[in-house]
Amino acid sequence: EKDESTASKDSTTEAAPQSQEDRAETPKQKLLDIIGNMKVEVSYKKKLQQLKTREIKKQATNKLEGLDSEGSTLQKTTEDTQRGKPLNPELVEAASAVASSLPRNKKQTESELLAQLRRHEETTDKQKKGGTINLRNVISEMAVKRQSSAQRGVRISNRISLELDEDGQRTKPERFSPQSFDSRRSLKVGKRLNIFTKASTEAENALKTVSSPTIWDLEFAKKIAAITAQPPRNGFEEMIQWTKEGILWEFPIDNEAGMEDDAEFHEHIFLEKHLEGFPKQGPIRHFMELVICGLSKNPYLSVKQKIEHIEWFQNYFEEKKELLQEI
Amino acid sequence: MAASALGWVLRAARQVLPSSCTRQVRSYYVDWRMLRDVKRRKLAYEYADERLRINAIRKNTILPKELQEVADKEIADLPRDSCPVRIRNRCVLTSRPRGVKRRWRLSRIVFRHFADHAQMSGIQRAMW
Repeated sequence: EKDESTASKDSTTEAAPQSQEDRAETPKQKLLDIIGNMKVEVSYKKKLQQLKTREIKKQATNKLEGLDSEGSTLQKTTEDTQRGKPLNPELVEAASAVASSLPRNKKQTESELLAQLRRHEETTDKQKKGGTINLRNVISEMAVKRQSSAQRGVRISNRISLELDEDGQRTKPERFSPQSFDSRRSLKVGKRLNIFTKASTEAENALKTVSSPTIWDLEFAKKIAAITAQPPRNGFEEMIQWTKEGILWEFPIDNEAGMEDDAEFHEHIFLEKHLEGFPKQGPIRHFMELVICGLSKNPYLSVKQKIEHIEWFQNYFEEKKELLQEI
Repeated sequence: MAASALGWVLRAARQVLPSSCTRQVRSYYVDWRMLRDVKRRKLAYEYADERLRINAIRKNTILPKELQEVADKEIADLPRDSCPVRIRNRCVLTSRPRGVKRRWRLSRIVFRHFADHAQMSGIQRAMW
């Protein structure tokens, strides 16, 4: 009986999505009749129940796919309305039919089946949206760790070193070692599991109006600076401190460390456009052209400095115009 | 904030009053000659551009000579301490005007003292 029912069920599941609504009812009716006629023995009760719930779920998914285009608007509503959404009346009928066939409490089984259907619908909707945690993805990445004898010694030594350092301060060793050999696979490889939600960024506090710092504030700040500025523990920290202060250069050495020359090369070389204030003939023009030639070859000045030079000459010659006209 | 306050305090300790009001100068320079040298260096830095430009007018064969004579007078009017020729490379620690090696800015005595105590990087007693 079970084989026949499954065979007929398969054929109907294939037929159901293809057929239109008119045809969908006839196989369903057939199914309902089959379920109603089937006689259930007490010993096989559980197996049958599982089978039937599976069948109902299959039916439900097929009907959902069939009705997806129509019910898509319904599914897109918020989760609150989804819970309140009434189940498909056909599913309800199927559930009632199954419940009637079972020997035990009809109403209880019916309610249980309906609850299962609801949950199933919720999970299918969530899965369609891609919101649930796929356990398979989680477990696929996890691998059973096997303690190798070679690494055992390293781990024991790690445990011992965690207790006390030479100075008596409990400082843990560098953090890169647990990452390096605990995970043979790297930490950032693999699909995102979407288990953890990002902590919502706290709203930035509005800037408090800062009044002029009082003497007590200055004293407090000085105390904090004195306490937090511990002497460097080793040469590296000393070098870091020096680099921050500016005593030590940053490596690899950047030749243009202090310079911020935003100007292009043509602004350095073609300085004739600044010569508009000068007379076009005469010794002054000759002199200024020499000046420009020299400035264009100078790699040490910035464009602003060069322009300042030329402007100074302009001002100077304008002041001496009377003298020049006497000559 | 505290670091800047500390820095301000430190700088105040080494402050030299501007040349306009030189009443009482409190500084940590070795002696007064060193202080004067410091002032000359500062002024030379401030007037360097102007001196360069006026000299460019002076040392010329193109511009008329009258202009150059005017430029001569102008450069003579600048403060005396602004010319770089007046700067003396003194020893940084002892303010000794003579026997100063330029690379280390130290006089020969101080240099020898530090080199013998192995406090000069890369310096070794010569023997060959």
